[in-house]
Amino acid sequence: MNQIAARDGKPLSDGDVGRAQIEWVRRNSPVLDGYVRNLVSDGSLKGKRIAVVVHLEAKTAFLATILADAGAEVIVAGSNPRTTRGPVVQALKERGITVVAAPDGDHHSWEQELRAAAELAPEYIIDDGAELTMRMMHHRPDLFKLLKGVSEETTTGTARLKAMQAEGLLTFPTLTANDARCKHLFDNKFGTGQTTMQALLKMTNRKIAGAKVAVIGYGYVGRGIAQYAKAMGALTFVSETDPVRALEAHMDGHTVGSLATVLPEATMVVAATGGMRAVGARHFDFLRDDVVLANAGHHDLEIDVEALLAASTSKRDSREGVETFLLGNRKIHVLSGGALVNIAGGAGHPVEIMDLTFAVQTLGTHYLMTTPLEPGVHIIPKELDDSIAAAKLQSFGVTLEEIHADQNDDFGLDKEGI
Amino acid sequence: MMDSTQTDKMLAEEGARNIEWAKQGMPVLKVIEERLKNSGLLAGVHVGVGLVLEPKTANLALALKNAGASVSVYCQGSSTTQSVVEALKGEGLKVFAEEGCDADRDLQLAREYLQTKLDIIIDDGASVIRLAHKEFPELLESMLGAAEETTSGVRPLRMMHEAGQLRIPVISVNDAETKYLFDNVYGTGQSCVMAMLDITNLQLSGRYVVVVGYGWVGRGVAKYAAAMGARVIVTEIDPIKALQAVHDGYRVQSLAEAAPIAEVVFSATGIRGAVPPAILELLPDGAILCTAGGGPYELPMAALQALGTEKIVRQSVAEYLMPSGKTVLVLGEGDCINCSDAEGNPIEIMDLSLSLQALAVEQIITEAHKWQPGVYPISTKSEQEVARIRLEHEGASLEPLTTELTAAIRSW
Repeated sequence: MNQIAARDGKPLSDGDVGRAQIEWVRRNSPVLDGYVRNLVSDGSLKGKRIAVVVHLEAKTAFLATILADAGAEVIVAGSNPRTTRGPVVQALKERGITVVAAPDGDHHSWEQELRAAAELAPEYIIDDGAELTMRMMHHRPDLFKLLKGVSEETTTGTARLKAMQAEGLLTFPTLTANDARCKHLFDNKFGTGQTTMQALLKMTNRKIAGAKVAVIGYGYVGRGIAQYAKAMGALTFVSETDPVRALEAHMDGHTVGSLATVLPEATMVVAATGGMRAVGARHFDFLRDDVVLANAGHHDLEIDVEALLAASTSKRDSREGVETFLLGNRKIHVLSGGALVNIAGGAGHPVEIMDLTFAVQTLGTHYLMTTPLEPGVHIIPKELDDSIAAAKLQSFGVTLEEIHADQNDDFGLDKEGI
Repeated sequence: MMDSTQTDKMLAEEGARNIEWAKQGMPVLKVIEERLKNSGLLAGVHVGVGLVLEPKTANLALALKNAGASVSVYCQGSSTTQSVVEALKGEGLKVFAEEGCDADRDLQLAREYLQTKLDIIIDDGASVIRLAHKEFPELLESMLGAAEETTSGVRPLRMMHEAGQLRIPVISVNDAETKYLFDNVYGTGQSCVMAMLDITNLQLSGRYVVVVGYGWVGRGVAKYAAAMGARVIVTEIDPIKALQAVHDGYRVQSLAEAAPIAEVVFSATGIRGAVPPAILELLPDGAILCTAGGGPYELPMAALQALGTEKIVRQSVAEYLMPSGKTVLVLGEGDCINCSDAEGNPIEIMDLSLSLQALAVEQIITEAHKWQPGVYPISTKSEQEVARIRLEHEGASLEPLTTELTAAIRSW
């Protein structure tokens, strides 16, 4: 009786299961369900066509319902063919939301889905990797011209939008959610940090106490992973190219070094650079026997699985999601084929984290609709960013301290006798 | 359609793959298997392995077989992984376990298992030992002894001994430091906290988490919950353990005091009724209850079920609507969540516990003929052997014990 089921024991329909999953998200998303819902119900979303292109599971579905409840015409597509969930799609369709995605797709069907979303002429896009924005530019330049704004989730998408801006192709304003503090300080650090550890341990059934975990890259994602690993009793190592970040890692209590010095110790290696080939052919000699390699960064090739395959004498499936490559007499285990381990091997970010990230996206979209902005790449105003954190804190019953006049002494601006 | 032989073969392959993966994380067991094999001690000895049947315990059964023993395996249907059953059968072991079978079938299998005339029993919860005493006392005559894995099995064995009813010597593997200091703390702590996160897709960051009981499991749960960002509150009846919790940096309160802010409650006591029904209405709306290490008997399941409002809101998450209008959530039907909804303890941790079991078998063969029926500890030598091998594998080295140090330690 652990499965979601009706009280009489009959199996539920896909739509019922999807609704139950979305309801679980709602009850754990106080910011979206309260502050954001109220703010966007001012009528400014009425009749606006908004395309949502994000991993299509329950959290994204809840975002779509918030927009639809505020009067928008919502078009939902997935941002990855493998992460679209059937019950959630069914639940959205049954409440009249246009969904152009289907589960169990491949790259080809996903391409068709994005083209279909483009055909529906969205005015606004909540995009991931600028995937839909790019396709509209290439395939429907006529509809691309009619776009009024894009709110982009990722660093990669932001880079693409900036490249378009540099070439003078951006005819509308865009916002980069990743630059909001309520996104990267939580989603990248706590969300990816926690769920990467969950996926690592669940997929391997190994212990973390005393494990030697090397984190490559000390951006927000790397910081989160290293912090959780250390807190759980691992011996942590960090490799970083930026001297300031490396110094920060050192002061956070991690052992910092080049990959040549760090890898030979590591029993688990997590790539978190956002670039490609963070672990490439030139590093294979440093890996010890029985090491577990995982990727927590954007590129599927942060661990150069192709080069690993070329260098190895054999490859086998050791366990669900775990491939073992034989390099000489060393066994090298790779999780999820090198794809983002917390998404491919886990349930994605915690609900409470996406409550913040999607609040940034929704308020960003509302801001694009209500504020005249120059074409180009913008970030959401600090006041909006702050208001999201304030709403989250309020849901916990946390009170902020206020700054008082007598605390201003140190600022030395308008006081006598300095 | 595949016929059942093909299905069994595919299951056996899956089981073998998972057993092989576990084996890679169990270097201690491998060293001990080699040593026992070379000693020839296990030749002709019939050992029964009656633990939760999954890839890690399968490695113990295989290690004993490789060391020369003849091995039979028993497990209840609710704790059996069928792919592992098929894989072990493929290795020539006698397996008395069927995934998902009912209690009647469990009993029938346990009887058949006992009737294979075991020399040594490795037991979990003392269930097979008790059955043998009840139904097959004649089989106990020729039995060398037994080894028990859990706290809940050692307790009734001691009771039986006090009552003069225990007929064989039993080694309490559970009481070994190399077991409870690691298995209960790091194994159950990590796996229960991670299972809670996996089931719910939530965070613990900033949440008030109440850990009921600060025994070895409670300490582990508190440690990992705090590591995930929780604000941990410990409840404890023992003043010394409670004082330890204070010094470990946790708030310590009575359950009634902590309940109003308890967003997540882990019961880690192994004691019936540790979370009484009276607590339910004190909890905040949507509080999550679960069990670490023990079973549903720790939680007020009867009171919750009597409400008649159970609703499964997510896989392994049951919601109960209370008369006040507040809701309470229970994970995994109140069962120990690392077993009901995850793969149990991590592999390397079970390497320690199961290696101790192998050494308990050795100790029973070499020493038990000198023993009266009773409950015995595993030898310190065995405990240290396990720790030393694991240390070596972890890349750690010990400080050498010099004659000067020895003299200083012994001085007075």
